[in-house]
Amino acid sequence: MAAYFLDRKIKAVILDITGVLKESGRAINGSVDAVNRLLSSGLQVRFCTNETTVTRSELVRELQTLGFNVENVVVFPPIPAMCKILKERKLRPHLLVHPDAVSDFAEVDQNEPNCVVIGDATQQFTYENVNKAFQCLMRLDQPLLFSLGKGKYYQEHGELVLDAGAYMAALEYATDVKAQVVGKPSSIFFETVLQDACVSASEAVMVGDDIVSDIGGAQACGMAGVLVRTGKFRPRDENHKDVKPDAIVDNLAQFVDTLLSTLK
Amino acid sequence: MSKIKAVLIDLSGTLHIDNDPTPGAVAALTKLQATPGLKLRYVTNTTNESKRALMERLTNIGFMDVTEDKVFTSLSAARTLLENQELRAYFLVDKNAMEDFKGISEEDPNAVVVGLAPEEFAYENLNKAMRLLHNDAKLIAIHKARYYQRKDGRALGPGPFVAALEYASDVQATVVGKPSEKFFLSAIAEFGCSPQECVMIGDDVRDDVGGAQAAGMHGILVKTGKYREGDESKISPSPFRVVDNFAEAVEVIQTML
Repeated sequence: MAAYFLDRKIKAVILDITGVLKESGRAINGSVDAVNRLLSSGLQVRFCTNETTVTRSELVRELQTLGFNVENVVVFPPIPAMCKILKERKLRPHLLVHPDAVSDFAEVDQNEPNCVVIGDATQQFTYENVNKAFQCLMRLDQPLLFSLGKGKYYQEHGELVLDAGAYMAALEYATDVKAQVVGKPSSIFFETVLQDACVSASEAVMVGDDIVSDIGGAQACGMAGVLVRTGKFRPRDENHKDVKPDAIVDNLAQFVDTLLSTLK
Repeated sequence: MSKIKAVLIDLSGTLHIDNDPTPGAVAALTKLQATPGLKLRYVTNTTNESKRALMERLTNIGFMDVTEDKVFTSLSAARTLLENQELRAYFLVDKNAMEDFKGISEEDPNAVVVGLAPEEFAYENLNKAMRLLHNDAKLIAIHKARYYQRKDGRALGPGPFVAALEYASDVQATVVGKPSEKFFLSAIAEFGCSPQECVMIGDDVRDDVGGAQAAGMHGILVKTGKYREGDESKISPSPFRVVDNFAEAVEVIQTML
């Protein structure tokens, strides 16, 4: 099964979740129907999120409650990818993450930390907590900083709030250490998703509301990138200095309508 | 080399650490003050103490003849900028420093002012600042130091939080304190001498020494306060001199008069 988008044969659609499917606990207009049609279209569908404030199963449960038929879908959040790296490289993290994400790291040794992992810690981004991460990095001979995504901000209850990337930038500035990003927009992260869907990059399209992490990241891998005017979208994103989306649509429903009309 | 006509002196970490003078600093400062024709300015990025509090502290430690007109702080520089551009500010500034901003409007802010204010750097406050910046407010950094020396070790300065706001809002901060070139030049504006005739003494290799040298001055790095081994190799050109402490820096200056 394939659809056509800008003369490309598309076999897989990769969707960002927050700001595309839902926002602040509510489904975005038309997205439930759009996702459900996409899932029954025969196209490969994967979900790719930088969400680190809930566990993967909680996220799926929340989407189901909102009406999305996602019981069998594959969701790619950054934490499992992060844990894999930590285990492979025998790294012990100091965590600066959301309290609900801590349990996702339960199997990782955290004694005598030799690296820092930062995620979207929201209210836990206090001065003292950020300072602890800083002091940990300064103690290390070879400081290592991992960031779960590098988003600048997202929209919550109609207002912009800072995302992990802002605090990543703070720690980078304070320590002169460059963070390694796990999650979008890292190419490794997108390639894992493509492998799982058994498609090449040119056969996939990414839909997201983050011009840099979603669109820029997908395009850097060779995928098409579609920006939605929902979630954290801001009019100035349409004239971003580095990233030019392959298409800009009002919302997910509009894109799915267009794409599915080409289905063969 | 031109003869030295003015000396800029950093306070915390250079003249004193907490409530103690660095070795020999009180006598060395007295010697410098007694040098005929030599102008002095105390320049500091301290953003959590008002000018008055700074002077009281220096007097209590034992330093003599440090008067308000000779102290030039990053707070004074920020206030001047706010007044000149008629800006209304949202302050992420320590409560103790707010007396230096008396009279500046905080209603419907169109500027965000960031100082060293651990108690103000809560997630919600930074969110508010970021939203203002997305609505075209200006970002003013009193300074951009990476960290400062606290009793329990190094702790984050205002710089990382300024960097976070810059990253999240794509707005470039105007840095009014050290190491901004304008700060150093404003500090010597009344002297009528050239930057080449000035020496800056400080413990921060980038903000004190690098900044002063970029403004054309001679920078002397002292190995007290926040200094850590190898700091001198972090800037290019390297410091004019690296010495053990303020007292030794004064000896170097005696040979340059």
